[in-house]
Amino acid sequence: MTRSIAATLALVLTLGSSSPLAYLKLGAMLNGRIIDATWKQQPIGYFISDRPGNSVSVADLRGAVDRAAATWSGVGSANVRFNFQGMTSAPAEGTDGRTTLGFLDRPDLDRVLGSTSFMIDTVSGAIAEADIFFNSRFAFSVAAGGQPDRVDLESVVLHELGHLLGLGHSAIGETERNSSGSRSVIGSGAVMFPIAMASGAVAERALHADDIAGISDLYPAPSTLGTGGIVGRVIKNGRGVIGAHIVAFNPETGILVGNFSLNSDGDFVIARLPAGPYILRAEPLDDAEPDSFFPGPIDTDFQVTYAPRMVVAPHGGSSPRIEIQVRAK
Amino acid sequence: MAAVAQEAPALRAGGFTVGAGVVWSGPYDIGDATAELRGNATGETPHAFTLFTAKSRVTPAISPELRVGYGITPRIQVELGVAFSRPRIAVEIARDAEAPSQRLPGEQLQQYVIDGGVTWQLPVWLGARVGPRLAPFVSGGATFLRQLHEDRTLAETGQVYYAGGGARYWLRGADGSGRALGLRGDARVNFRMKGIDFEDKMRIYPTLSAAVFVGF
Repeated sequence: MTRSIAATLALVLTLGSSSPLAYLKLGAMLNGRIIDATWKQQPIGYFISDRPGNSVSVADLRGAVDRAAATWSGVGSANVRFNFQGMTSAPAEGTDGRTTLGFLDRPDLDRVLGSTSFMIDTVSGAIAEADIFFNSRFAFSVAAGGQPDRVDLESVVLHELGHLLGLGHSAIGETERNSSGSRSVIGSGAVMFPIAMASGAVAERALHADDIAGISDLYPAPSTLGTGGIVGRVIKNGRGVIGAHIVAFNPETGILVGNFSLNSDGDFVIARLPAGPYILRAEPLDDAEPDSFFPGPIDTDFQVTYAPRMVVAPHGGSSPRIEIQVRAK
Repeated sequence: MAAVAQEAPALRAGGFTVGAGVVWSGPYDIGDATAELRGNATGETPHAFTLFTAKSRVTPAISPELRVGYGITPRIQVELGVAFSRPRIAVEIARDAEAPSQRLPGEQLQQYVIDGGVTWQLPVWLGARVGPRLAPFVSGGATFLRQLHEDRTLAETGQVYYAGGGARYWLRGADGSGRALGLRGDARVNFRMKGIDFEDKMRIYPTLSAAVFVGF
């Protein structure tokens, strides 16, 4: 007997509505337990809807999907493969047993560039089907160097394919509020950051270390055996902090990888790190809306705090547990 | 000059010395790093956004040292030394828009060094004014360096090459009669390659040591 649930994740241009169920990895809640949602069979077959988009053709979309899929497949430390199975007249939504990517006109989602929906077997954690729509309310571009006033389609496809693979949103990024109250990105450390770059930007066609660590954790290749994890706890006034964002920075390689404290004890795990010493920075989740990451309330009332010392991710295994004590703002 | 050299104390050719003392190692930087986010601008490589900067350095440390020497000639001695110390890696955080600049206490290393080198006692006699028992020397050699991070989950190795000098002061046996006993002071300039370093650069730092030696 297979039970399925539906989930949706979206990439927003600025602050927008979405109904996520995700941490670093996409999770399905079953009887109070979170299970990782992944594809159990590969290659992941997909269809492309023949509905044209705004200012780009279906062929442009297929090209962007091919390139973005190749980017994810090219991660050496992960086993990810895709297989284009053909064009379809079906829309990129609904439950039909096919994974479909395509344009949809969604005027009701005036901040959402694209969105991924899933059917997940909550017994096995297998993703049974996923559809991605790209909102044809927006003018997209596939120009190599980008186009002003148009959103780079390949960057959006890359983000949504990350969701399709089972990744949730990353919080490695900085934003600022503009006069209208929405957010604009200052800098991003992950393709899976939930808020898109400005129109014309094309830098997010390439994955960051955080994306690579996440996908390697979901679909580990043999080469991940040499990676290590950092485990620890974030506490405030002697109690665990839920929802703290912890970023690990390797001063030798410059990579940034993050994750959250996910329970009321404040426990966190940052997995699949290349071995080496890391500086840890704990911050409140204040650069995106918390409900883009967590279905429930989290603690954002604390100051940015560094771990008192560097922590080593060993070759295989995990570090001893480190404690980061934060103070209220 | 030959007459002067005859009056300076010297180690015995073919004899061993054993020494024990303490060594102070000076601090040295191991790298500046910037945690950067990809900037939000057009183009494939937009200007990065700085999340914070980290300047790391190995702090000074004092450690015990053991040293064994063998006199090839009265003036030239080859020697082997071992030392253990526990310096810290201190990290200075700056340019974080959401946190003040600060120095983190850092992790404590376990550092082992094994050095092999040579000392050459200078053919000078400092005379009665400074002391007839004092003999200066110059030294040089190489060191094997092993550094373990605080959690002992990762070890890194390196090499240190050094040059320096010092002096031995004989408390007894300066005239070659009986067993030599004395004090020794060293000052070295060290050129470190590899080991824990975030920029993979050669680092230069001083060491000073003081020891007691016994001749056999």
